[in-house]
Amino acid sequence: MIRFLFVALILVSNSIFSILEIEILKGSDNLSKIAFVPFGVDDGIEESYGRQISRNIEKNMLLFGEFENLPKSEMLSYPSSGNDFYYRDWKVLGVDYSVIGKVNSVNSLGNLNISYSLFNINRRIKLLEGEIVGSEDNIEGISKIISNRIYEEITGLKGIFDTKLAYVINSDADTYQMCISDIDGKNEQILFSSKAPIMSPDWSPDRKKMAYVSFENGLAEIFIQDLQSGERNSIQALGMTNSAPVWSPDGKSLALVVSFSGNPDIFLYSINSKRLIRLTNHYGIDTEPSWSPDSKKIIFTSDRSGSPQLYEINTQSKRKKRLTRDGNYNARGRYFPDGKSIFFVHGNNGNFQIATKKLSSRYIETLTSTSLDESPTISPNGNIIIYATKDGSNGYLGGITLDGKSRFSLPVKNGSVREPAWSPLLN
Amino acid sequence: MNKALTSLNTFFLVLLFLSLIFSIFSIPKLNIDKTQSIRVNFYELIQEEDILFDSSFPKTTVKKETKKTSATDEKIKAAEAAIVSKFKINKLDIKNEISKIKLSKEREDILRVSAIIQARISSIWIKPNSLSESLIAKVSINLAPSGELLNFDLIEPSINSSFNNSILTAMNKMTFFEEVLSLDRKLFEQNFRNFNLVFKSSGEIE
Amino acid sequence: MEPIGIFILAMLCQVYSCAANVSDSVERMQYASVAGDEYLQEERLETNLDDKVYFDFDKSTLDAEDKNLLEQYLPEIKKAKIVRLEGHCDERGTREYNLALGERRALEVRDFLIVKGVSGKKIRVVSFGEEKPLKSASNEKAWAENRRVEISLY
Repeated sequence: MIRFLFVALILVSNSIFSILEIEILKGSDNLSKIAFVPFGVDDGIEESYGRQISRNIEKNMLLFGEFENLPKSEMLSYPSSGNDFYYRDWKVLGVDYSVIGKVNSVNSLGNLNISYSLFNINRRIKLLEGEIVGSEDNIEGISKIISNRIYEEITGLKGIFDTKLAYVINSDADTYQMCISDIDGKNEQILFSSKAPIMSPDWSPDRKKMAYVSFENGLAEIFIQDLQSGERNSIQALGMTNSAPVWSPDGKSLALVVSFSGNPDIFLYSINSKRLIRLTNHYGIDTEPSWSPDSKKIIFTSDRSGSPQLYEINTQSKRKKRLTRDGNYNARGRYFPDGKSIFFVHGNNGNFQIATKKLSSRYIETLTSTSLDESPTISPNGNIIIYATKDGSNGYLGGITLDGKSRFSLPVKNGSVREPAWSPLLN
Repeated sequence: MNKALTSLNTFFLVLLFLSLIFSIFSIPKLNIDKTQSIRVNFYELIQEEDILFDSSFPKTTVKKETKKTSATDEKIKAAEAAIVSKFKINKLDIKNEISKIKLSKEREDILRVSAIIQARISSIWIKPNSLSESLIAKVSINLAPSGELLNFDLIEPSINSSFNNSILTAMNKMTFFEEVLSLDRKLFEQNFRNFNLVFKSSGEIE
Repeated sequence: MEPIGIFILAMLCQVYSCAANVSDSVERMQYASVAGDEYLQEERLETNLDDKVYFDFDKSTLDAEDKNLLEQYLPEIKKAKIVRLEGHCDERGTREYNLALGERRALEVRDFLIVKGVSGKKIRVVSFGEEKPLKSASNEKAWAENRRVEISLY
């Protein structure tokens, strides 16, 4: 055995040392180009269905600027099945992926049967082939499902086209609205409207409830609202001010901030037993808690060092660890879905920008370039951050992909928009 | 029996030692410290020169190959003089420093071609976003002397399939490595007939 | 001095009793007494003093000028039933942190008044963080005006 090992070692050492290796670290700044071919239709089916579905998929896929599309006018053919699909037709156009499909039949219930395929042009392989049955009046929903599958196949990340966004709109000095909408901005719904400020919306992990802070009774108070029934309840913790509620990953408790006679500290609040457990106890400001995905740790902002910095506390051992040291303003930290990095608001030379940091590294990387960026929220797949920023006196929402290739802003609303909160995925 | 085994082991130990020495000498023109992979970059090449030369000296770039020997000699002498007068350092140290960065023509050629290949792959590789994961994958490349890509193989895939897919997609866009045509045949055979591309998701793997 | 000592002792007792797990009914009572803002229905007492104290960015300390203004308030406060202190911040930095900072500013004023002999029971503290700016512009002048504690007497 030992002898064998020796021989193997010799061979390996020889081969390693003699072959040239070139390291590739930097990727291209280009985006993958996708052709969304108008879906074909079977005899007797309205042609508009086919076009509508491929247009919806295209809109979804382009929503966050992660891909580039091939204009329809440049397409050489409109294949609708693998039989009439030729790779070279797309290769010459510089296309990386093609999406084709067909609306096959309508059964007696008015259901459409839609088949779709995704091709990798460079590798000349069919990556995905699927079929989906759905009702005629749910073309949007069907398109979202297909978009998610295509997105997952190309990026290896979870599709997020059926997620939602919560946000606060301040339309004039005395009107505050807590809203939710689909992630593409459609189907906006006002959850609660008030003449006093509303803050800090946070989705329950099952997407059925929302926790937020409302000043309707004259001071900061935490409410939980059921999204189905609209019923809202103040959680009536203790102290002067209750704020910054965030749901635990299991949805059974909230981490929140209670200020007893002016000293804000982090507490855990059990929804069922209504018990408070103290997590931090310091005369400085402790606020903005958020759970790690494994719910073992809570990140929070504290000014105990003299300026706001991020700390992490183990919910069991209560051991604390300082996470940021560079700069004199690092606040409102959140973990990435994989728990290995954090994102937060980083103040630098009077500018407040969204930044990220790997927990294993000490370097802070700034993502955004405007100067009053705050309230970052991350897509459940960890690839996109939406944040609030300001243009003149009006607040709007901006977004950025984490590779920095795409920056976008969400459609302007009537009023100042702030505090976006990205919903979890539907399970 | 025991004795026989011990002597056999000793024999293999010696063999291992010899082979290690042999292998070190057998990387003929690529004696780059202890690292096996080269991080080549045009900027790095130019920076090395910048460190050496006072800005008042005309910068000679790697591309000038005609009057190589004399140019290199002049460079070195000038650099020596400049540094000695500027920092008053031990001459021996400088000689060591210079011998370290004094590139043989072959090594320069290999670095140049590697840098072009690196830049070209970088321009077509659409790297998936993976902020937290440190991924690494190795592709072996097989070229014809014409530069044609005969074969590639993902010999060491990463644990992330979309990272692997992105590499395969990029490699499928390559057909020719024209840059090897500028090399003489011997260098091509020694270094570029078979070589590896090491794709990394971040610079922090070591 | 004695009543202040007793008051502080009472406050401490309250804090400790809150910190421990208290039963539901106590929680509500406590909450209501703090939240109770019936006084807001009553008429506000007018004074000819400036009703705002200003602060530096990310700071809650009072300077000599602020203290001077607050001293002038003392005789007025004697006539009032309630002193309302409303803390505010500028838009820079994060919202929840600013909510805490606004509270910290109002408390700094409260503590100064208590030291000067005002009964803590008279004082109501509330923070709006950066949610209610006076000026909506994004410049140094607007920010300086927004970093304030508003004092009102009832």
